[in-house]
Amino acid sequence: MNAAITLWNKQMSKLSGEETFGLLIQPILWVVLFGVGMKGVMGSAVPGGDDFYIAFMAPGIVALSALGGAIAGGSVWLDERMRGIVKEYLVAPIPRLSILLGNTFTIVTKSLFQAIVIFVIGVLMGAQIANNPPGWVGGILLVAGYSIGFAGIALALASKTNDPGAYHAVIFLLNLPLLFLSNALYPLSSLPQWMQIGARINPTSYVVDGLRQLVLTNGNGLASGELLPLWQCAVAIILFATLGMWLAYVAFRSAIR
Amino acid sequence: MNDYAVEAKNLVKRFGDIDAVNNVSLMIPKNSIYALLGPNGAGKTTTISMLTTLIQPTQGSARVAGYDVLSQADKVRRNIGVTFQETVLDDALTGRQAMTYHGRLYRFSKAENEAKTAELLAMVELEDAADRAIKTYSGGMKRRLELARGLMTEPQVLFLDEPTLGLDPQNRTKIWEYIQDLKQRKGLTLLLTTHYMDEAEQLADCVGIIDAGCIIKEGSPKELIDQMGKDAITMIGYGNRERYLEQLGQLPFVQAVTTAGPITQLAVDAGNRRLAEVVTLANTEGFTIEDISVAKPSLADVFLKYTGRQLRDK
Ligand SMILES: Nc1ncnc2c1ncn2[C@@H]1O[C@H](COP(=O)(O)OP(=O)(O)OP(=O)(O)O)[C@@H](O)[C@H]1O
Ligand SMILES: [Mg+2]
Repeated sequence: MNAAITLWNKQMSKLSGEETFGLLIQPILWVVLFGVGMKGVMGSAVPGGDDFYIAFMAPGIVALSALGGAIAGGSVWLDERMRGIVKEYLVAPIPRLSILLGNTFTIVTKSLFQAIVIFVIGVLMGAQIANNPPGWVGGILLVAGYSIGFAGIALALASKTNDPGAYHAVIFLLNLPLLFLSNALYPLSSLPQWMQIGARINPTSYVVDGLRQLVLTNGNGLASGELLPLWQCAVAIILFATLGMWLAYVAFRSAIR
Repeated sequence: MNDYAVEAKNLVKRFGDIDAVNNVSLMIPKNSIYALLGPNGAGKTTTISMLTTLIQPTQGSARVAGYDVLSQADKVRRNIGVTFQETVLDDALTGRQAMTYHGRLYRFSKAENEAKTAELLAMVELEDAADRAIKTYSGGMKRRLELARGLMTEPQVLFLDEPTLGLDPQNRTKIWEYIQDLKQRKGLTLLLTTHYMDEAEQLADCVGIIDAGCIIKEGSPKELIDQMGKDAITMIGYGNRERYLEQLGQLPFVQAVTTAGPITQLAVDAGNRRLAEVVTLANTEGFTIEDISVAKPSLADVFLKYTGRQLRDK
C-alpha cells in the first residue's frame, strides 16, 4: 500500500499546468458543446424539454470523461513500460500489485476531479443538484467504481501490447459503443429494441442512471420514470470494477514478474 | 554467511528459439568489481536481468547477496542497486524528486530520505541541478543521477549495465572514481558491463568475456593480458596472406597468430627485436605490409582474441 501511494503521489505530482488545464477544459467543452448543441435535437426526448437536457446528460459526460481518463492512464502505463521506467519499480522490493494499484488510484483521482468539475459546470448552466450529501458520496463511489473498471481494462490492454497504435485502435473500438449504446444521451425508451439490450449490458448505463438518482434533483422525472433501479446500478458497478481489476491483475502478472 | 556476493550456476535464458544466455556460471567474491565484456547481443544485459530478478532464468539458479533470485526475490531486491543500460528516468520529475520517490519505495523515513538524497546528489555533483526537471539534463547528468539513485538504498551489490555509455572522458573518469571509491569505502560488490576495454582494465578485479551467451574466458585483467605474450605486433597488408600467416606461425618466437577482418595480430616474446624478422618474412612470402605497429598487449587484444571481432562502440 505504501508503494501504491508513493506511485500515485509521483504520478499526481507530475501533473503539469497544461495537463490540469486539459483535465478541466475537456469536460467543460463536452458539457457546453454537447449540452448546448444536442439539446435542440435531443431535448424533446427529455420530459421538460430543452432546459433539462444539461442535467440529463451531465452524468453521461462524467462517464465519458472517466473513460477518457482510463485510456490516458493506460497510455501512461504503456509508455512507462516501453521506456523502461517500470524496471525501477520491478527491481524494488514492492509487491507487483502495488504498481497496478498506484496506476488505478491515479486514474480514479483524475476522473473524480473531472466529475466534480462537470457537475459544477452543469449547475452553472442550470442543472439542479439535489441537496443530499449522502447521495453525493454514493455518486462519487459509483464514479470511482466505473473508473476502476475501465482503468483495469485499459491497463490490461496496455500490459498486453507493445504498440501504442494497437492500443488506441482497440480502445477506439470500445469507446464509441460505450457512449452511444447507453442511456447517456437519450432515454432508454427512445432507443430501438436491440440498442436497449446493448445499453443494459453496458456499465455506462448503470453509472449514468445511478448518478441521475443520487445527484440530480429530478433524475427520475428526467428519465421519464424509467431509471434502472439503484440497487442494480450499485451491483453492476461493483461487478464491473471487480472484472476490470481482475483483468488487469491477470495481464500484469503475465507482463511483469 | 559466505564469501560470494553473486553465485550463479548454469544460468540459461531462452527467448523463443534465441539462446540469449547459455549456461553462464559466475562467482563474484564480496567487495570486488567484476566486469562483463562482450560484443552486442552477447547476453550481458540478459544475465544482469536474471540476477536482478527482472526476468526469470529458463534454467539454472543464482544467489545474490546470499539470497536466491527466484525464491527470495524480495530479499534480493532489498540488497541490490541497479542502473540499466538505457536511461530510465521520468523526464517530468526533478532530480531530487526522482531520488526521493525512489527512497519512498524503499520505505525511507522522510528525514532519512532527504539526507540520503542530499548526500548522493552532492557526491555526483548535481546539487545545483537538483531542482530542475530531468528533461533539461545532459546525458552525463542523467547517468550520474541514475548512479546516485542506484546507491540510494545502500545496496550490498550494485549492478551497472554500461554505466559510462555515451559519456565524455571527464564524466567517465568521474564515474570510475565513484565506482572505485564505493568499493573501497562502502565495501560494495559491483558487477558492471562495458564496451570500453580501458574501463575494465582500470576498474575490474576480474573480467569475464561473454560471447553468444557463454562466458568464454575469465580472469583478472593482468592474468588475461599476460597470457597474450609479452608484446603484440599488429599489422594490415595485402598479398598472399594465408601462406604468410602459416609461415609466421612456424617461427619459434611467435606465440599466437590471430586475425580479425583485415587485421593480423602476433603475440611475440619481444616486439622491437622481432619486427625486422616479421617484415623480412613478409617480403619473401609476397605479402605487402601497409601498416605495422608494436605494442604491449591490452585487454582489447585479449577481447579480440577470444571474440574474434573488434568492439563496436556505441
Ligand atoms: N525480450 C527479448 N526477447 C527476445 N530476444 C531478446 C530479448 N532480450 C534480449 N534478446 C536477445 O538476446 C540476446 C542477448 O541480448 P542482451 O541484451 O543480453 O545482449 P547484450 O550483451 O546486453 O548486448 P548489448 O551490448 O547490445 O547491450 C540478443 O540476441 C537479443 O536479441
Ligand atoms: Mg546490453
